[in-house]
Amino acid sequence: MKGIIFDIKQMAVFDGPGIRTTVFMKGCPLRCRWCHNPEGLSFTPQLMVSDNGCQKCGKCMDKCEHKDKCISCGECVRVCPMHLRRIVGTEYTPEELAARLLKDKVIYEMNGGGITLSGGEPTAQPEFIIALLKKLEGIHRAVETCGYCAPDIFRTVLDHVDYVMMDLKLIDEKQHEYWTGKSNRLILQNLEQLKKSGKPFVIRIPLIPGVNDTYENKVQTAGLLTDADNLQFVELLPYHTTAGAKYGMIDRCYEPGFDTDRAVDTDISAFKKYDIPVKVL
Amino acid sequence: MTDRIQKMYDYYVKDKAHHEFRQPETDKYRYAVKYKEQGLCDTDRAVYRLRDVLNEEKPVVFPDEKIVLLRTVRTLPEIFTEDEFKEISSKHYIHEQGKVCNICPDYTNLLKYGFAAKKAEIENKAEEFAKAGKKEEAGYEQALISTIETVQHFMERYAQEAEKSGNDYAAVTLRKLINDAPETLAEALQYLRIIHYCLWCSFNYHNGLGRFDQYMYPYFEKDMKEGRIDKDSALELIEEFFLSLNKDSDLYTGMQQGDNGQSMMLGGLNRDGSESFNELSDICLQASLELKLIDPKINLRVNKKTPLSEYIRGTELTKVGIGFPQYSNDDVVFEALRRWGYDEDDIYDYTVAACWEFIIPGYGTDIVNVNGMSFPKCVIASINKLEQFDDFDALMEDVRCEIFKESDRLRETAANVYMEPSPMMSLVMNGCVENGRDVSKGCKYNNYGFHGTGIATAVDSLASVRKYVFEDKKLTKEEMLTAVRNDFRGNDELLNELRYEGPKFGNDDDRTDEIAVKLLDWFADALEGHKNDVGGVYRAGTGSAMYYIWQSENEQATPDGRRKGEQFAANYSPSIFTRLDGPFSIIKSFSKPHLERVSNGGPLTIELSDTMFRNGEAVEKTAAFVKTFIDLGGHQMQINAVNLETLKDAKLHPENHRNLIVRVWGWSGYFVELDECYQNQIMKRMQLII
Repeated sequence: MKGIIFDIKQMAVFDGPGIRTTVFMKGCPLRCRWCHNPEGLSFTPQLMVSDNGCQKCGKCMDKCEHKDKCISCGECVRVCPMHLRRIVGTEYTPEELAARLLKDKVIYEMNGGGITLSGGEPTAQPEFIIALLKKLEGIHRAVETCGYCAPDIFRTVLDHVDYVMMDLKLIDEKQHEYWTGKSNRLILQNLEQLKKSGKPFVIRIPLIPGVNDTYENKVQTAGLLTDADNLQFVELLPYHTTAGAKYGMIDRCYEPGFDTDRAVDTDISAFKKYDIPVKVL
Repeated sequence: MTDRIQKMYDYYVKDKAHHEFRQPETDKYRYAVKYKEQGLCDTDRAVYRLRDVLNEEKPVVFPDEKIVLLRTVRTLPEIFTEDEFKEISSKHYIHEQGKVCNICPDYTNLLKYGFAAKKAEIENKAEEFAKAGKKEEAGYEQALISTIETVQHFMERYAQEAEKSGNDYAAVTLRKLINDAPETLAEALQYLRIIHYCLWCSFNYHNGLGRFDQYMYPYFEKDMKEGRIDKDSALELIEEFFLSLNKDSDLYTGMQQGDNGQSMMLGGLNRDGSESFNELSDICLQASLELKLIDPKINLRVNKKTPLSEYIRGTELTKVGIGFPQYSNDDVVFEALRRWGYDEDDIYDYTVAACWEFIIPGYGTDIVNVNGMSFPKCVIASINKLEQFDDFDALMEDVRCEIFKESDRLRETAANVYMEPSPMMSLVMNGCVENGRDVSKGCKYNNYGFHGTGIATAVDSLASVRKYVFEDKKLTKEEMLTAVRNDFRGNDELLNELRYEGPKFGNDDDRTDEIAVKLLDWFADALEGHKNDVGGVYRAGTGSAMYYIWQSENEQATPDGRRKGEQFAANYSPSIFTRLDGPFSIIKSFSKPHLERVSNGGPLTIELSDTMFRNGEAVEKTAAFVKTFIDLGGHQMQINAVNLETLKDAKLHPENHRNLIVRVWGWSGYFVELDECYQNQIMKRMQLII
């Protein structure tokens, strides 16, 4: 069994308690229009090209045999003198990845840190992450999830983590479907499981201007969280115009479909109203 | 900061309005010719130089200053004519400019006694020596007395100017300090300013400030106890003193603006195992945090027991983006100093000289940067003989021999050193007054330190040869040699693979890291057991200073995919070509070598985006990261919150900034991998943050 990941980032300071390593799993069932990790959407390896520092030497194109359609063969990667090209998406067995992550066990232990599985969407590779999480037992394990997966999978994942960071993007079902491509019914169902699980969790809301930064959406979200003793806090992540940074690098256009220049409404009164601890990052 | 400090900041730092008092540039040999005509010996020349410079000085006092003295003389005079110095250079090894430099005085030698008592002590000594027929020593004591009188005379002139400008406070303080020892914090700071100023005027440079929070603490404590100051007014005084260190620093000798050795060490373990970090240490951190000035350069002594809270204080300072504090690990440095024969009484008092080299204030006349050993040079010499070696071990054995050879060569160059005398410096170095002997002739410790340059280039090159030639056999020895000798021309794919995909020191790969352990051990082995011609030992280090540029300039391509003339990484740092696994891997790899054997000085230098310091929680985590390196046994670290200038450079030269991390939104990315518009955007944001 293999999983596919698109990055491993050491020294993550915003992805859970202590200093952590975050694994970014490749592939996601949602298609949020504001997604800032577009290389995390597809489940297959793909070519990623940075323009910065390109000397236009043309060596990549000289080498390319699939000019019509890139097949991510990686031939061009090996000739770029500036190292601006790479194949994003590496396959690992749970054993291989666990071994790599466990090398830094001493560092996690010294700092009350651990490992966070993020993405993409980690629960979209359920067998792999459960096998991986089992191998990481004894280390603080966190998952960052959009919550969109079959409830039994979600429950199993919950059984194998110590901490959950879950996104709640929109409470209105139709709006959710419009902006992310999927209904939020599974997500809300999984939220109920999460609340009952007793696992400490954080709710994260990427605040998108004019999409979900309204008082109405915030108050609906807050309303769902009043009965959760295990909720640590709500974290608001105001949209930033750099979200589209990586689209060009994977040869895609960033078409968010909302006014990216509009100011984000970071008002937190909706959460205050319900006495829910809230942070704006 | 108070309004008064803000005004001074604007005047001295922002507007540099005090430059109007500076006198025109003058001939640096203006006195040397006269001294030569008068047939003066070098010690007398040094005494006269200070006298002549201070006489040229035009006192400038502002009404609301508590700590006065301003340099107006631009050109410090030489004591020898060009021909005379050429003659001296032909017979001696001249370190840098031939001046006493890059050491740290023990200021308490004057702070505790004052000039009148010190003069009396010296007069007694002079008499003793005269009685014992020790003419030379007796004569030297006279030079020390003349030096004190020169400074006293200068202080009187300043006191008169203070009166004229209506600053009675300064006038009273200066008049008192002409003879008496300081009793309050304000007086002690004024006195320290006088001594430090006169050291610079004596052409001593890179004059460290040492353990300021320790030797100033008694004055602080007394003032606090007697209600003369509170924490706020103490902070104001310290800030005024810190500002004074920035008034003249552009006139000081250094490789670059800012390279002036005004380093200050805070905290550290006492001999009884207690911690010396005190309230005043904290005030110094606060002052630096508020002023955001490059001087003084703050260093923190830490150890395994240092609480996270102290690292957090340090990290709050790092966040400002001025590149310090620099951390030194007592656990490692004590052991290193012990191994080199430093007395148990002295090691607990260590500080850094100008940059990072460890030295004992008042006792160390070590030349801590006498030369630099280039690891890549040794590795290249061996690799050029690659065809002779049957296996990797044979290659390594040859590298060992080359390191020994190069270390021997460097040792031999540094002999028969001559330095200009400095009676002024001798007043604050232990043993000079007692023995009637100038600091330039050496004090208690006279060891020589070598930088160790380009360790990552050397390790990566050897690991590359092992992998591609001996193990994977992807290349024959001849092919590897041809590739590097041709600077990889026409061999793009190989260059790309070696440079970006090859094994690198810093990826926490034991096999590669083990090469670093060996190279550093051999460097220490090569110097161990040897004595220099003044009875000192040799200290191996991991710093690079400017050597990473000098020594790489003409060096051929290396098997790590470095092309001819490309720079090595600075200090004790990983390759700058490619993104490594991450900060955890780096601190793990870089704490594997036996650092207590190579602790002449030289920090692991890590750059983190200032977005990693965004909020209190992130600062705490970054502090924990620094603590982790120290707890793993790292010797010294500096950590940069990367600022705009670095990012600008990263835009122009992305190849030098592969590991620069920026937090973009809810995610971190590698800056050089972002498109330009986003880079600009982040830079704009950083402009706002700064």
